[in-house]
Amino acid sequence: MLAAPFQAEFDANSQEFSFAGVIRPRSVDEIAHSISMFRNAIDEARGVLYINVKRLAQMNNTAFHAFSRVVLDACRTRSDIRFVVVTSSVVGWTERMFRHLGKIEPQIRVEVYDSKFYPGQSFVEDTSFIPILRTQTKMTWRHERKILPRHGMRPGIVMADICCGIGDFAVLVRKEFQPARIVALDHSKASLAYARDVAKNFGISDIEYSYGDASEMLLEDNQFDLVTCRHSLQIFNQPDLLLKELYRICKPGGRVYITNEKNSHCLGEPRAQSIQWTYNEVAKLFSHFEMDVELGPKSRRYLADAGFDDILVESFMVTNHDGDPQDFADVITAWENVYAGEMAVKRGDPAEFIERFRQGFRDHIFAALHPKGYAGWPIWAASGRKPL
Amino acid sequence: MNAAQRQPAEMKYEPLLQFEMEMGTFLSDWQHCDQLSTYMARMISHNRTDPLRHSNFFSSALNELLEVSFRGGSPEGRIGCAVYRQGPKERVKLSFPCPPGHQQFFREAVARTHRNDAYARYLDALSSDLGPSREVVLLDLAINFDAEIRLEEEAPPSITIIVDLPLEGIVS
Repeated sequence: MLAAPFQAEFDANSQEFSFAGVIRPRSVDEIAHSISMFRNAIDEARGVLYINVKRLAQMNNTAFHAFSRVVLDACRTRSDIRFVVVTSSVVGWTERMFRHLGKIEPQIRVEVYDSKFYPGQSFVEDTSFIPILRTQTKMTWRHERKILPRHGMRPGIVMADICCGIGDFAVLVRKEFQPARIVALDHSKASLAYARDVAKNFGISDIEYSYGDASEMLLEDNQFDLVTCRHSLQIFNQPDLLLKELYRICKPGGRVYITNEKNSHCLGEPRAQSIQWTYNEVAKLFSHFEMDVELGPKSRRYLADAGFDDILVESFMVTNHDGDPQDFADVITAWENVYAGEMAVKRGDPAEFIERFRQGFRDHIFAALHPKGYAGWPIWAASGRKPL
Repeated sequence: MNAAQRQPAEMKYEPLLQFEMEMGTFLSDWQHCDQLSTYMARMISHNRTDPLRHSNFFSSALNELLEVSFRGGSPEGRIGCAVYRQGPKERVKLSFPCPPGHQQFFREAVARTHRNDAYARYLDALSSDLGPSREVVLLDLAINFDAEIRLEEEAPPSITIIVDLPLEGIVS
């Protein structure tokens, strides 16, 4: 759990009072300052005051009762104010404990924040996408297994795979590199259920799959030798926030390893122009949904801005010649279905655009399956060391 | 016949982890509650479906129990805490010395967790101006953690609280 002392902060702009960390005082006197801050925040607030407990790892009854009293008292003296308590589905006890306040006072509403972390998550959470995710990992693993040791992967380490998806990367890493411990975290319950099922079928019991929000994890500070986060910063609307969390849980001297794409650089021959047009449009489409699938080459900047040193960036090209070209084609088909079939429709694109958009994917498949063709999907792998 | 003897035959609870220490040492630092609950939660949760979240839940419940023993225990004697597992449940067995008369208090508080008005009492307690009593803490465990709580009678001055926590089902 969070080892840092607890934090209580008020953001007047958003009228949000946040609690974070572990709050287990022996007496109310120990948290008197925070209670006073909380009272002042309520005095200052107009309309709705948000009480954010998403990062509240622990709160004992003494503190819960004291802070609840302040809210309940305010409800009785101020009919003009309402409270929205924002809990997290990750920290389950907060939801169970705070919900009672809404039963006591109708001015208090309790909301569970759980499904809006990644704007793109809903697009890839569909279980029909799982076989493609497995194929993608199989294709990238051929490259990553060779380059990972340069980024800090070695036997016996303690590692975390954040945004682990269906968990196949963790399984491959476990087999190839034998880390001492792997924590694999994701915010998709469907993906985690699949991951656990696969692990069970393979008799793997030592990967700790955990449900969590990558931008606000329950994991302690400074505990992993290596933190991996693959293809995720690019589909997160605040990659710097996510990177900050990866930095936090990494040990000083440990490394954070990220992979991301630059989708507009997907390529193929023949029919290069059509392919290039479509992937340029893919980048614009993701941008519309607040995701940056052009992030790959920006990895160095992101890592530097997050405080890492000894930054190492490299790229590799997954191609139709890496294995079975049909695998490559299957992945592109899945992309076409999600990007052109779902995302473009949701953006409201006209039929003519979607047809041209689809054609580029079909041409990419054509290139992949052509006996003399070449189809590529470039990926940037980068890591940085957390300073000692 | 005491509460323990009244329990129907049940599947065996496997021992997982236990600690025992001088009560005086335990009472010397409030942080022991947090440290012990965090450590024990992490240890016993490692092979649960979601170790991190299970640990978070379990630590929360165990800390409350340890705080009860901290606030209500007497310095002579030893505190012992053992955790057992049976399927999706963990059982916490917490024994500690307490002042004369407190056994009766705990007996009544535990009995109230089984009454139909437990939730109403809990909401009343949240609404009241008083801080949380030991009774409220036990109600909290029963209501928010679906805990089954009972006492195992021991010769005074010791008391043993047994709490069954079906957290695996809640977490996963």
